Amino acid sequence: MAEPSVQLDGVRYRYPTGVQALDGVALTVPPGERVALAGPNGAGKSTLVLAMAGFLRAEGTIRVAGHRLTPGTARDVRRHLGLVFQEADDQLFMPRLADDVAFGPATMGLAPQEVQARVREALAAVGLHGCEDRAPYHLSVGEKRRAALATVLAMRPQILVLDEPSADLDPRGRRRLIDLLAGLEKTLLLVTHDLDLAVETCERTVVLDAGRVVADGPTREVLADAALAAAHGLEVPQRLAGQGPA
Amino acid sequence: MLDQFANRSTPVHRLDPAAKAVALLAVVLAAVLVTRDRFLPLVPVAAGLAAYHAASRTPIRYTLRRLAVVSPFAVVLVVLFPFLEPGEAVARWPVAGGTVVVTRQGLVRAGHLLAKFVLCTWAALLLLATTRFQDLLQGLARLRVPRVFVTQLAVLYRYLWVVMDEGMRMRMARTARDGGLGPWRLRFRSRVGVIGVLFLRSWDRAERIYRAMAARGFDGTLHAPRRGRLRPGDWLFAGGVLAASAALVVGDRLLYG
Repeated sequence: MAEPSVQLDGVRYRYPTGVQALDGVALTVPPGERVALAGPNGAGKSTLVLAMAGFLRAEGTIRVAGHRLTPGTARDVRRHLGLVFQEADDQLFMPRLADDVAFGPATMGLAPQEVQARVREALAAVGLHGCEDRAPYHLSVGEKRRAALATVLAMRPQILVLDEPSADLDPRGRRRLIDLLAGLEKTLLLVTHDLDLAVETCERTVVLDAGRVVADGPTREVLADAALAAAHGLEVPQRLAGQGPA
Repeated sequence: MLDQFANRSTPVHRLDPAAKAVALLAVVLAAVLVTRDRFLPLVPVAAGLAAYHAASRTPIRYTLRRLAVVSPFAVVLVVLFPFLEPGEAVARWPVAGGTVVVTRQGLVRAGHLLAKFVLCTWAALLLLATTRFQDLLQGLARLRVPRVFVTQLAVLYRYLWVVMDEGMRMRMARTARDGGLGPWRLRFRSRVGVIGVLFLRSWDRAERIYRAMAARGFDGTLHAPRRGRLRPGDWLFAGGVLAASAALVVGDRLLYG
């Protein structure tokens, strides 16, 4: 069997303020699987993402694309882990969109022609071709979100991690995002409490609460479980209502 | 926006940003170096800027408005000269037992400094009005300005608007609750609070931006791809302005030195 894309074991993290954000998370994601990471606010979802990329030094074992995360390997790990942050404004920091998308490939040391090719490919993938010269600040919220995704796609990471990708999107923007995600052939880790989004894009769902994995299974089964949802501050998505265990 | 007219396409817009930056530096140096209190050497500078302004087809309102915004700083600097500079009195007022004297020399000195300030600011505004900011940054990088400054300017320009928007929203939220009324002491306190919170938020944001950059392999340099080369017209423009500025300074020395 191929090496798992993500392998977490006993991951713990306590913030300096004393909050135990991660309390022994174990999770294995095989290549190509799409996993939704659901849970209420403060469950530790975003902390887990930061820990996976080595921004927080968590206890336990974290392996990404076969690389064991240590302070020395964080850079290699991030090459394989495409992180799309919650606030697109934080991610788009160059004054010109094409330069922003080129940033990742250029820092990887690719040749200029290859960088340009990747920029074109990534912008086309998110439907923003022709916007190369625009200033990221002047894009709409939906465009910014897709632009942020393009900056990461241009690096061709093995695993794509999106933090709340559908937050503040209007229905059309959300639909475009869903179609876009459905068309990507990558290991996907989707941090969200938009459970309808999870149902539409991910075959597997992991529910996190108080820093622990409290449910893990096929999305339709996990999210249709009304008792589980009630216990962990979630709601059964409309499209799954009435399908759960009695 | 500073560069709202920068997307136009006129001959001066098409000049290379590096050439324009060099020209700006030459004009500012010339304006600063000419003999003080003499207005004649400033006339060619003004004429050159006016020609550039006309060629760029930038609305005069754009320049005037921005000049008006920065002028108070200059006025504060020169306002005391007419009173402090010794010389021939043009007006005197008795004030509290003494006399306040305004001298002709002082007025000339103040007027000259103000004129220099206006010309330098005008030149800088014209550069910004005819060059997109991202192109200007590339021009600076081409002129071997240290990367850390170029990176800092790029990030500043990028996030200035975000922080301003944030401040504006907070101000609206505050006004929505107090209607701009209430005791001034309380309003002052809440205003200071807004600034403090804005600072903290910007701090947090800086951290998030750094993470987003590090997640994409940031190692301290922004690898912006270079576009375009200097064309003969760029050399001609930069060289011409440099030569004219040098000639002006030399001519000034010969005339008054």
